[in-house]
Amino acid sequence: MELTIEHFLGLSAALFIIGLMGVLMRRNVLIIFLCVELMVAAVSITFVAFARETNTLYGQTFALFAIAVAAAEAAVGLALILALSRRVRSVDIDEFRTLRD
Amino acid sequence: MPWEVIIFYFIAATAIAGAAGMVIAQNPVHSAVFLVICFIQIAAVFVMLGAEFLGIIQIIVYTGAILVLLLFVLMLVDPEDLPEFHVGRPVQRAVGVILGLILLLEVATAIATRTITGRQGNATLENVELVGGNTQALGRVLYTDHLLAFEVVSLILTVGVLGAIVLALPERLGVRSYKRKDTISLAHPRGTDIALPAGEGAQVQTGLSSTAVAKPSGVGRRLIMSSDPDEQPVTGGGRQ
Repeated sequence: MELTIEHFLGLSAALFIIGLMGVLMRRNVLIIFLCVELMVAAVSITFVAFARETNTLYGQTFALFAIAVAAAEAAVGLALILALSRRVRSVDIDEFRTLRD
Repeated sequence: MPWEVIIFYFIAATAIAGAAGMVIAQNPVHSAVFLVICFIQIAAVFVMLGAEFLGIIQIIVYTGAILVLLLFVLMLVDPEDLPEFHVGRPVQRAVGVILGLILLLEVATAIATRTITGRQGNATLENVELVGGNTQALGRVLYTDHLLAFEVVSLILTVGVLGAIVLALPERLGVRSYKRKDTISLAHPRGTDIALPAGEGAQVQTGLSSTAVAKPSGVGRRLIMSSDPDEQPVTGGGRQ
């Protein structure tokens, strides 16, 4: 049994879907943020797997850019969560239903 | 079964267990630690795919920076115990599971019936070794073909940090920034039933610095713009 690209694509799909289920099922906004991070990381596995399959490095550069953008997104997202929780006094996503007080 | 397949299945099982534990765990700190496990396994997968540099970057950025930042935020927000996370909302959880399974079916079909393969490049493992390794090869591609995107990423990081600082800045002490600064009152302010001076648009000075603008006097009501709704305007007479 040989290790093929399909193995890595399957792992990527499984991790992505676990993250999607977490986004749909949980209500803690911090857990939802973690699930989004997991989905980004799972997609970068797909990029690297296709780069391995086609013998190019472009997939790896894409994954590198995805990691950099995920870092910026994490900073902004956590600042948003901090501001929201300071205003609404909650981390329940159902409490965030208005854009103003 | 060759060794690398066994190692891959071990890594994949650990990664999926970490991700599932992250979704299931009740304590957000436990979720973060489960996600650390999952991210380290993803870094190992990158190394298996010949992307050693990305594996190291994955560990440094994700587990070293993002999750530590998240743990700080976790301790800054209200430690709220929400028992309904796990006992309530059966419809929401059922919808999540069903949609996830549908998407899993679709993606599995797509992976199994995949026929299109990309054009082959020349960055085989041997060629990458000739350049000096994965990091050197990636650097050559990054600073030649993707230079503009690289600079744009640095701009994105700068803007992201600035945005995070602006968003997370605490409101000033005693002053809530979202409180409306000026109040427009169409009625009489409390206890000031004073007749208007004659004249169109006569300006009336109020307390300290705020101005009250009187509109045409036939109505007998004034449009008062003042920083405090309870502030009593002092009639200063028309200036026209």
